[in-house]
Amino acid sequence: MKRENNSVKITVTVNGIEYRETVPAHTTLLQFLREKLLLTGTKEGCGIGECGACTVIMNGKSVASCLVLAAEVDGAQVRTVEGEMRDGELSALQKAFIEHGATQCGFCTPGMIMSAQELLERNSNPSREEIVEAIAGNLCRCTGYEPIVEAIEAVITSKDSPRRST
Amino acid sequence: MIKPFFYLKPRTLEEALDALQSDGARALAGGTDLLVEIRNGERRPETLVDIKGLKDLEDLTFDPQKGATIGAGVSLNVLIDNAQVRKHLPVLSEAAFSIATYQLRNRATLVGNFCNASPAADMAPALYILGAEVVIANAEGQRRLPIHEFLTGVKQTALKQGELVLRVEIPRLPKGKMAFLKKQRIKGHDLALVNMAGLADRPTGALRICIGACAVTPVLLSDIGSLYKDAKDVEKLAERVAELSGTAISPIDDVRCSKEYREDMVRVFVKRLVRQICSGG
Repeated sequence: MKRENNSVKITVTVNGIEYRETVPAHTTLLQFLREKLLLTGTKEGCGIGECGACTVIMNGKSVASCLVLAAEVDGAQVRTVEGEMRDGELSALQKAFIEHGATQCGFCTPGMIMSAQELLERNSNPSREEIVEAIAGNLCRCTGYEPIVEAIEAVITSKDSPRRST
Repeated sequence: MIKPFFYLKPRTLEEALDALQSDGARALAGGTDLLVEIRNGERRPETLVDIKGLKDLEDLTFDPQKGATIGAGVSLNVLIDNAQVRKHLPVLSEAAFSIATYQLRNRATLVGNFCNASPAADMAPALYILGAEVVIANAEGQRRLPIHEFLTGVKQTALKQGELVLRVEIPRLPKGKMAFLKKQRIKGHDLALVNMAGLADRPTGALRICIGACAVTPVLLSDIGSLYKDAKDVEKLAERVAELSGTAISPIDDVRCSKEYREDMVRVFVKRLVRQICSGG
């Protein structure tokens, strides 16, 4: 509760790595990830929570990182698209995106992957409607969405489990 | 460029209330409205007081006799996922589900939605027809206000400096059919041009309809219960209520649509709502 300056000390785990940092209170999680940790996979589109390009998973829930303060993630587990590849291998979802042509310019892809991944972790067998609802907050101006929905559906039906331990 | 502010994360309610006493302090819950307003320069708080994690604020309780309580930290997705709310207060689940997108609903709270006091707040009409009460904490203790006294104007509430909304309570579980309807420009993430919630209970003749986004605060239609008691034909009732609603609202032109369009949509949607909640048993 000290108010000498507006910096906040945070300890946060991002993609399994713990960071201890001091950030100005008005820093967003998105700025923290991109500018402090140099994790530039997470994109800024609109900056006001409407486009979903900045979606990350915070304590198991997808959030728009442009509308989260870095100060708020003290003690939290955060996952970004950089953490989805393990031991040099893309996740099942990332592979499916490639196979189904679910990415064109690629700007929405990191957020889209994180929204879809979070869906698959809370619902291992979502309906098409549930998939569409889960990614409704992720705007894509290239694909027309169909290949993205198909890629997510392909992961559900494949044996390659999308589940992750962390 | 965001104007710098202080961030406080109080551990107790007392600390939070103390922090909220200072000039320019503002409570932060989900932040989905507040951080956008700060970014746009519409609000310039000195200090954000993060109320997430405070004791009892995450509580969502449900009792067939005592009704429901929804803490200020309860996110819209937690509300939507609650089976009791879906069963007994479906109008709340429907209104919550219509708001923004999945990842925003993971953060946005029901209490934050009405504390932001947008005339178009989607949760507000539902809370009006349910007779919700707002429980407020301050240094002296607690006070409570009915939702229609809490919301006082565009972005204005009865909340004073040093006060914090703890929860909203639905004191009695209503009987009857209820529904929420919303007219948007697009199917998806957009604020309502018109929104409304309705509750009808045939055995008691209760009919409550509240319209949002058509005045500075939501408009609860008065004296429509008697029309319902005497009504024999739902279509005629719908026409009559739609007519009455036209005189009760005072919409304006804004960036989303014209005053006239809102008036037309209120007529159309009130009729739909009456048909939906007053038809059948």
